[in-house]
Amino acid sequence: MDLAMRIKKKKSKATMTSISMSLQLRYDRFFKFVFFGSAAAVSLVIFTIILFVAFQGLQTFKEASALDFFINTTWSPPAHYGIFSFIFSSFATTLLALLIGAPLGLAGAIFMAKIAPQWVRDVLRPATDLFVGIPSVVYGWIGMTIFVGIIRDNIGGSGFGVLAAGTVLSVMILPTVISISEDSLRALPQSLEEASYALGANRWQTIRRVLLPAASPGLLAAVILAMARAIGETMAVQMVIGNSPQFPASLVLPTATLTSWIVVEMGNTPFGSTINNALFLMAFTLLGLSMATILLVRVVVRRRMV
Amino acid sequence: MTSTKISVQSLNLYYKDFQALKNVNLEVEENQVTALIGPSGCGKSTFLRTLNRMNDLIEGVRVDGVILLDGRDIYRPDVDVVNLRKKVGMVFQRPNPFPMSVYDNVAYGPRIHGEKNKRKLDEIVEKSLRAAVLWDEVQDRLYKSALGLSGGQQQRVCIARLLAVEPEVLLMDEPTSALDPLATLRIEELIQVLRNDYTIVIVTHNMQQAARVSGVTAFFLNGDLIEYGNTDVIFTRPADQRTEDYITGRFG
Repeated sequence: MDLAMRIKKKKSKATMTSISMSLQLRYDRFFKFVFFGSAAAVSLVIFTIILFVAFQGLQTFKEASALDFFINTTWSPPAHYGIFSFIFSSFATTLLALLIGAPLGLAGAIFMAKIAPQWVRDVLRPATDLFVGIPSVVYGWIGMTIFVGIIRDNIGGSGFGVLAAGTVLSVMILPTVISISEDSLRALPQSLEEASYALGANRWQTIRRVLLPAASPGLLAAVILAMARAIGETMAVQMVIGNSPQFPASLVLPTATLTSWIVVEMGNTPFGSTINNALFLMAFTLLGLSMATILLVRVVVRRRMV
Repeated sequence: MTSTKISVQSLNLYYKDFQALKNVNLEVEENQVTALIGPSGCGKSTFLRTLNRMNDLIEGVRVDGVILLDGRDIYRPDVDVVNLRKKVGMVFQRPNPFPMSVYDNVAYGPRIHGEKNKRKLDEIVEKSLRAAVLWDEVQDRLYKSALGLSGGQQQRVCIARLLAVEPEVLLMDEPTSALDPLATLRIEELIQVLRNDYTIVIVTHNMQQAARVSGVTAFFLNGDLIEYGNTDVIFTRPADQRTEDYITGRFG
């Protein structure tokens, strides 16, 4: 009697478990579907954008020659749709921004991760994160009122141009470089550092010969993200680069980048016109070039690291 | 005939308010293996780290007392920590080779101390790897990453890396606790070879290991050095009841 009851009890418990299991399984399936659906939707949106930009842009070639488009420096529609100046300026500003911003940001990251006492880091880290939230128009405006003036007075020209844009961008990419580099330096196991100190290395030797090489994948990611931000930045660049469709023969000559020129022209070109299509093609070119650059950097650095 | 390599006199160590070592007095003999045993948190690793001032790296640590290395106090303010750590090297609990080639790992020490001559470095690397009984296993893959080696091999790379700076004292902080029995055996054999040329202090959780490799054993409990002496005496006729309880496994 007692035993029978116990068996019965056990049995009912077992069925209970199997019911809740199957419920759990159904939840699992449902959420799998939800997550898969979201991922698919995101990819779809991205692909649609790329396809649309490409489709609209490629119609430029109905009236303009492809060779002329990419290598001519003269932008004077409808005669010439040459965007080489813009491509060149985009790369020049980005490169300049990286040349100034990457070493500075890396130094800041090293300081924050490995040198600064805890309380300094407690102040600097939130400050760096806030830095990211400053809208680009603020950078642009400060650049326009301060940097441009300083350049005009000390170097020459009107002050607008690649130098002003590169400087503003270098400040803008700092928080990206600092926070990602700092994270990757901090993520290194303490044991690496200890091993180096235990061999009689000083702090600088430990940082340069052990920590930086070990963190290099993260540092590379920091530079790539900074580069992506710099090459795509529009507002701040547009405010300080001078907006003149000419080749930047000097760092202080007004010029335009792919992004800034799209902004300047988009308001006064009707959708479907060749000049409007050319702007789409510029957007598509920018997309392609920034992807290609990122891939190139990855390949080059990976080869050097092996 | 033995002589004292390290002499520790009334050493106290505090982590902020917590006293981790209480009035420790210990003599480490030259060319001898000294094992430090005791339950987790008893201060044996902390003690080991005072011997090459690795505790300096931790914030909030305060040390008083005297540690004489060859008769000279290593905690005097004018002591060059870099030189001290060249003389007193350390092997850690988990193998921690740098993420670079075997060669670069072993050459790291000589390089940071200014050796640039390629032939000289080659010599040091080979000598150190031979001394760590690893040369035969890695000579074909010197220029490949040390992280591709097995755990036991990685630990021997770390030992070779240490030997390359020609230390006099080797501190080992549970060097085999992350290794399998076979790799452990090889490290223990290596310790037996190394004792001829170096003074070794080893922290271990493994009582058999202490009995196998060491000549002198010191037993720590809650920051106190309970007793130390010849290993066979400690393991067969300990003077203190607590030592006996620990060694016979009666400790919670």
